Parts: sequence; structure tokens; C-alpha cells
Amino acid sequence: MTHIIGYYTTQFGELWEKSLFDLVEEAINGVLKQTSLSNKQIDAVFFGNMLAGVLENNLHSPSKIAEILKINIPIFRAEAACASGGAAFNLAKNYLDANSNKNVLVIGAEKMTDYSPEEAITALSAAASGEEQEAGLTFPGLYAMIANFYLEKYQYTEKNLAYVSVKNHYHGSLNEKAHFRKKISVEDVLKSPYVAYPLKVLDSSPISDGAAAVILTNNYDMIKKQKYSATVLASELITDTISLKERKNLDEILATKNAANMAFKKAKINRRDIGIAEVHDCFSIAEILAMEDLGFWKKGEGGKKIKEWGTMYGNGGDLIVNTSGGLKAAGHPVGATGIKQIGEIFLQLTKQAEKRQVKNVKYGLAHNVGGSGGTAVVTILGS
Amino acid sequence: MIGIVSYGFYIPKYRIKTESIAEVWGKNPEDVKKSLLIEEKAVAGIDEDSLTMAFESASSALSTVDVDRSKIKIVLFGSETHPYAVNPASTILAEFLGIEKNYLAYDTEFACKAATGALISAQGLIKSGYSDYALVTASDKGMGKTHDVLEYTAASASVSLLLGKDDLILEILDFESFSSDTPDFWRREGMRYPSHGGRFTGKPSYFYHIEESAKSLFKKTGLAPKDFSYGVFHMPNGKFPVQVAKSLGFSFAQIKDSLTVDYLGNSYTASALIGLMAVLEKAKPGDLIFLCSYGSGAGSDSFVLRVTKNLSGKNRKEFIKIIKDKKYISYPTYLKFMEMI
Amino acid sequence: MISPVKIWRRQKEIRKVLGKKGKVLAWTKIYTPGSDFKKYAPYPVVLVELKNKEKIYGQLVDYKNADLKVGSEVISILRKVRSSTNEGVIAYGVKFKPL
Repeated sequence: MTHIIGYYTTQFGELWEKSLFDLVEEAINGVLKQTSLSNKQIDAVFFGNMLAGVLENNLHSPSKIAEILKINIPIFRAEAACASGGAAFNLAKNYLDANSNKNVLVIGAEKMTDYSPEEAITALSAAASGEEQEAGLTFPGLYAMIANFYLEKYQYTEKNLAYVSVKNHYHGSLNEKAHFRKKISVEDVLKSPYVAYPLKVLDSSPISDGAAAVILTNNYDMIKKQKYSATVLASELITDTISLKERKNLDEILATKNAANMAFKKAKINRRDIGIAEVHDCFSIAEILAMEDLGFWKKGEGGKKIKEWGTMYGNGGDLIVNTSGGLKAAGHPVGATGIKQIGEIFLQLTKQAEKRQVKNVKYGLAHNVGGSGGTAVVTILGS
Repeated sequence: MIGIVSYGFYIPKYRIKTESIAEVWGKNPEDVKKSLLIEEKAVAGIDEDSLTMAFESASSALSTVDVDRSKIKIVLFGSETHPYAVNPASTILAEFLGIEKNYLAYDTEFACKAATGALISAQGLIKSGYSDYALVTASDKGMGKTHDVLEYTAASASVSLLLGKDDLILEILDFESFSSDTPDFWRREGMRYPSHGGRFTGKPSYFYHIEESAKSLFKKTGLAPKDFSYGVFHMPNGKFPVQVAKSLGFSFAQIKDSLTVDYLGNSYTASALIGLMAVLEKAKPGDLIFLCSYGSGAGSDSFVLRVTKNLSGKNRKEFIKIIKDKKYISYPTYLKFMEMI
Repeated sequence: MISPVKIWRRQKEIRKVLGKKGKVLAWTKIYTPGSDFKKYAPYPVVLVELKNKEKIYGQLVDYKNADLKVGSEVISILRKVRSSTNEGVIAYGVKFKPL
């Protein structure tokens, strides 16, 4: 069985001094140090990144990583828009299911702030279909369409969405590596300018730089020697149409539903066993849909449930969501997010989460989505 | 007999009032209105151009008749604001309309008479047996420099005419053309806005060419203004067509319905044809219509048209009701739509 | 500059959906667009289901705020859809206007 034995994340935010591969190098060195491993002990690397090709004309990243690691091993890059990190992790787990006694390094990284917001927005819309791009639908535009549809169908208002951002910003204030450390109020969210109606600036995750890395192993001698470890009980990746308009329903992400069902089946546990979750809140509406599609809440009741503050740290709830600050407050360096989510669950399960440590958690779930729901990765970890 | 089988027109939704422009430049709006006799003009949106408007008017023209599009072997696009300096809008239009591909297409330019000149050529091509039908489009998103008189008059619109031999609603009984080299209004390559010779655009230009063209057609046909139910002239402003009609011997009653410039502005190549659209809403079978265009540079095409009994039912299009669907915009919005800022 | 070949291929598809009526399934209004759409902002984008059940995205133009709702009846029209450079081929495409 595959275990995670180490996790390192860089600061997430506007990291002017660091290039993409500076961040990759920092994450690699960080996680090797954490686990007291040398570069020569890594048997394979999986790298998640979305935009280096589009923004920097930089491809063939596996070879770049080989230059950093100074070894000759298999290295693969995965891309699934914002689920690039989750996809890299999924491939790494599958690699370990097929190869025994190996140590695998998984890194997710993204550099977004070297470019103007328009260039970044245009690049991110590569996650959408050609027709969506041609209609001038930005990425926020797609989620805004979903949000508008959801709010109208279930009779909620923009105010319901704001609770997601408020909760996640509170969590971000407890996480030193988060992009945003400031707490915000529901009024702050409602007063922020529109990005794409009904989503506002404070409903939307930011443009950030960052890198995160984990080390996976199925070598039992290695696991026994390590101070911290968590079991990877399941990792499932499911895809759906790239076009929002071709999906069966506009108010659900089917890929999330199917990946979750498969992951829970593989892990042999129930939804109520999960005490901690990192879900994909690229926009406030996305967290509400995630909670419903993952099976924690019933379809359509998310707008109501979020107002109860039940998933916020410190309220004694059974399931705490996005203690890292989520994508909203921790930041969303696209390729790094999927790994950061898994890393945060690892920290919680190994009692390393300091100010935001949730008590008595045995199982955790990470949920990473690409585009408007074209890819979903659900990973379940156990302590 | 060659003539018009069906027609279509498109006026964009937006209007700007003369006073909205005048007050920016510190002019008294009443003085401007008195001098140009224009209340407001039609403005195309930021994402519209002569091609998109032509598609609207041509689709309208083709929607009311059951014509096999493979029989439309002539497509002519007349404009002063072609989307490209080199690349035919006529073929872009034809492709979107599903006319393919054994047809002759070209774009024409002769200031405001680009399309009426094309009508004459199309008529000849049909008569020679080359094609049963011809589609001729006039379309402009008229430009005028700021703080210039053209700013009050230059407007947007499109008219499309489907010419043919059978089931005509309007017969083209006869026509004439009068041309000279008269630089009254022009635009050099690469320049965004046209330039003009001020008062030179009047007597030696507009009036001279229209009068000579009209007189030679009257002489050729033996007809006089009193024989016509309607007169339609090119309308650079609200005053010129009224003055030239009077000097030729038309009464105000004969031209009043065609004076669309007062509330739509001067849509350059579509200008006189929009006046014709207004008249066709009311004209009766047997009516003779005198149509006279003017293009700077300069020239004038005049036509004797006769209304047939086929101008009825779905072949006759509503005009006044359609143009009442409008929305007023401010001066900054106007500049934004015209991409001047 | 957008590839002229891509525009050419796309226009054959656009032709098939012009002048068609449909109903709005979902909508939003974009305030922060990408570079090619800056001059049209802010603009609404609608997802429309045509009478033949085909679904199409497009900007909504010539509208009143009351038209921005699920169920609005619209018709597809031809407009310029994105601005590339002053040098490039013009991209014409589908937008919608309220009926």
C-alpha cells in the first residue's frame, strides 16, 4: 500500500524573486530534507503544471527537473488544467501500484504573476472549450454561469456564496503559507466589484505563484524509518466533457460525483468517516457544488448548509473543510493546488497542522477539479 | 424586363441626437438642426460593421422569396467603409448567405453611389443572360471626424436588393448615369475619416450632378417630375434633397416620405436606398418612382422605377414601425461604438 | 494574430446557426475579460438552446437588463466576435439578441 511520508510547500503568493523552476527546486529540496532522503533515492517523479507552455513557451519540463535533481530516472508531466496536481498524484499512485519498493516524488508548481492579469486570464481560458473562449466566456464566466443557474434554481442569493470566502479567509489567517492571511466579512464580499455576475473579486481565487511536493513510497522499510506517514487509501480521476453546455446538468460536476463514489468504494469507508477535507473552491460556488457532488450534502441544500458555519475550524463540526484556506485564501498556483490539498490532509492526519489542527481525524479527502468540471480527482488518505 | 424581386434593409438600434453632439462642442443645437435639418442619426454598435449589417439586410431580402440560391450568380457589395482595403466583403457575405460558388462577386466604391452603380451593372449582366438573379448590397458604418459637420450626419445602415426577371415588385424602366472628376469629398488610403471641400460640395457637386443626371433621364424617357408619385434623392443632410427636388420641379409632397435623413442620418451608400425603403412601404401598383443617387468624386445615377401589383403581402416590408425600435446613446458611447476612443 | 485558417474553418460552422431562435438556459455578465474582448466589456454571455436542441454560447447584444434571465427568447445574429490586431483577419461569429 502506498504511503505519503513527506510534504513541503513554498509560500503561495506574488513571489517576484522566484521563477517557476526556482519554486520547483525549493519544493524538491524542502521535501527531501523533511524525509531525510537524498535525490538518488527517488525512483520516479511526476510533475503537475498547466501554463508553462502557454505563458513562458517552456515545455519538456521533465527534462528540466532532471537537471535540477541531477539523476537519470523516469519523470512525467501531467496536465489537466487546475487538476494538474491531482492528476500527477493519481499517476504517481498508479505507478506505485504497478512497481514495488519505489520512492516517488510528486511536485505541482505554477508561475502566474510574471504576466498581466489579462494575459493570465486568457491563458487560463485554455481550460475551456474553443467555443467558450470565442464567446468571450472567461474562466470566471463559466463558473458564474453555473452560480447564476444554481442560485436561481434553488432560490439562494449572492449572500449565500459569500460564506464560503469568509470561512476560507479565516482558515487562511491560521496558515503561514497562505497567499491571503486577512479575515474578511460577508459585507466585504458583497461589496467587492464584479468579475462575472454574480461572482465578485472576493468570490474568486487569486492569481498566485507557488510549488508543493510530496513523497510517496510503497517500500515498508522506508515507511518504518519515517517519523510521519499517512496511507493513500484511494485516488480516482474521472473526466467529463470540456464544454459546460455538453454536461448532463449545469448544477453538478458529474466527474466529482463519479470519482468520489469510486474512491469511497476503493477505500471501503463512508462519507461520515471523513473528518477533514480539502475541496476545490476556485470560486465560492465551486465549494458548495463540491460538498454536494462529493456526497457530504444533498443537492441543492449547499446554499443553506454553508450558512451554518458547520465546516469552519473551531466550531466542533464533524467535517472541517479547507483548513489550508482553500484556493480562495491559500492561493491558487494552478499546478500546485492539487498537491497542496493532499499535503494539507497529510499534515492534519500526522498532527502537524499547528494552529489549525483538527482533533481526532482519522480519514481525510482531497478534491481537485480541472476547468469547469472536465476533470475531477478524489483522493482519500488514512492515518 | 429586369427589376427588383425583393428587398431588405437593416438599421442599427442605436441613435444619437444632434443636441448630444452639439453640446459637447459648445454649439447651439437649434442652430445645427436648422442648418442640417437632422434630429438624430443611426449608429451601429461596436461589434457591427458594413458586412454584419449587409448580412442582416440581405437575409431579410432573401427571406421573403423562394429563390434557389445557386441561381444568384452575381453578388455586388457597395460601401465606403469596406471591412478590408483588400479582401472582398461580397464573398464573405455570399458564403454566410449560402450562395456558392459559381458566382461573380466584387466590391464597388464610388462614395455614396457605390451600390446604385452596381445596380446598373447587375441589370446588364442579367439582361445578357449570365444570371437569373443578382444581389446588390449597400452598406456603411459612416464615419465623420469629430468637431466636423459630418459628425452630425454620417450614419449606419444597409439595404439589399435582389434583382431578377420574373415576379418583380419594382420594374427598372430606364436609367442614366452622369460622371465627372470633381473632388468634393474624398478619403485617402490609410486615413480613417473622409475630408471634404465645405461649400464646394454643394452647387458644383451635389446639385450639378443630380440635376444633369435627372435631366438626361427625363430627356431620354420623355418623362417629367409631374409623372412621378415619388422622388427619392441622395440625402447628405436634410436640406440638399429638398432644394434639388424643388429645382428639378418636384413638389415637397412627392419627396417628403423619402426624407429619412431627418431621423436616421446619412448612411452613405445606403442613403438614397433607405429613402426608397420608406417609400415602398406606401407605394401603390402603377406608381412611378424617380430614384437619384449621388456619389462624391463625382457622379449621379438616376432610375425610373415602376411599382407592380406584386408589392403586397409579405413582399412589402414595414419600415416606420421597425425604425421606432431604438435606443439613445451618449456622445462617449457613440465614440466607443465608432472605435474613435 | 488569430490564424486565418482557423477563422475560415470556423465560419463554415457559424453559417449553420445564424438566424435561429432559441431560449436562454444560463447567463452571466463578464466584467474582466481576456485581451481579445476588452473593448466589448462589460458584456453578457448566454447559453442558448435552439429549437433543434443544439446548445450554443454567444454574447447578448442590443438588450435591456430585463432580458437577462433564464427562459428569455433570443435569435442568433452575425457580429464581430473578437478583436485581434489591426493586421489580422476579422473574426465574425454568432451573438444573440432578444426577440
